[in-house]
Amino acid sequence: MNFKTILGLVSRMAVGGVLMYAGFMKATGPAAEFAANLAAYKLFPSFLVSPLSLGVPYLEMWVGLFVFAGLYSRYASFAAAALFTAFVLVLGSALLRGIDLTTCGCFGSDTLSPRYTILMDIVLLALSLMSAKINRFTPSWSLDKTLS
Amino acid sequence: MTLKRLLAAFVLLLAPVALVQSVKQTSWGPILAAPKARQIGDPNAKVVIVEYSDFQCPSCAQIEPTVHKFLEIYNGKIRLIYKYYPLTRIHQNSMAAAHAAECAAGQDHFWPYHDRLFQTQLSWAPLQDPTTSFVAIAEEVKLDLGKFQSCYADPSRIAPIELDAKEAVDRQVTATPSFFIDDERLVGTVFATDGARTIERAIRR
Repeated sequence: MNFKTILGLVSRMAVGGVLMYAGFMKATGPAAEFAANLAAYKLFPSFLVSPLSLGVPYLEMWVGLFVFAGLYSRYASFAAAALFTAFVLVLGSALLRGIDLTTCGCFGSDTLSPRYTILMDIVLLALSLMSAKINRFTPSWSLDKTLS
Repeated sequence: MTLKRLLAAFVLLLAPVALVQSVKQTSWGPILAAPKARQIGDPNAKVVIVEYSDFQCPSCAQIEPTVHKFLEIYNGKIRLIYKYYPLTRIHQNSMAAAHAAECAAGQDHFWPYHDRLFQTQLSWAPLQDPTTSFVAIAEEVKLDLGKFQSCYADPSRIAPIELDAKEAVDRQVTATPSFFIDDERLVGTVFATDGARTIERAIRR
């Protein structure tokens, strides 16, 4: 395995792992708590908060699992990049508007500060884009490769 | 090849759904009885709302006008039970405030004390020792000061607070304020936006 292959694999594992964990923690916790976290951003209309609180955790798990397993790797990595871009924008807008969030709600019942999380999201966004670039054909250790 | 990949995709889409459904907790622990002093509204009301709250939490103070509004609008139809859930890790005076409120409950003055604690939250929350503020509120709501002070000095009076907090943890409550209307959970400002609809649904049931 050369350096590029290892980098592609590590970025897939990191991006997929974080997304799966974040989605799982939210999906297995009470949806009402994630709904409250979303409402605290004062960004979404109230009728959207409940559907988002139910849907986003599964979206994260699905994208994370596809990236991690390496199925439709390139598209999955782009989807992950889109998710992290959305997270950065939502968190950034809350910080810019001076909204005092005690938690970002990113990992269910965590108490991660939004400032720390936005940095993490930027790093993961970069890794997703890197993964999309490196894993654009059939990456090693992936379902794409196994099933090709 | 494409069919194999589509099949694999189908399995990957299904796996998280099955996993979450198998581990997700769908029923919560029991709500233990609370003393009458910490209940407000019609004692025979069909709909019971349980609130887990922290006197030092800003969102709990912000939601109070909504709680009062609902008690007024649904007068005779709802009963509210207050449960202590001081988030001591982030709010240094939350346990002391709950202790003071418990002492007020002992004199059957929980609700006026509760209201004043929230209204004056910004003044006592940052204090190193909020005792003077709590005594002042006790005086304001006409508590027997001698009894209040001896209760406040007695550490055994925090037992009901710890019991409520344990109940909250058992019910997977991690944020305040958390409201349960029957089995439906509403957290934070969602109570203000969705509370009325949920209460009305519970009344119709």
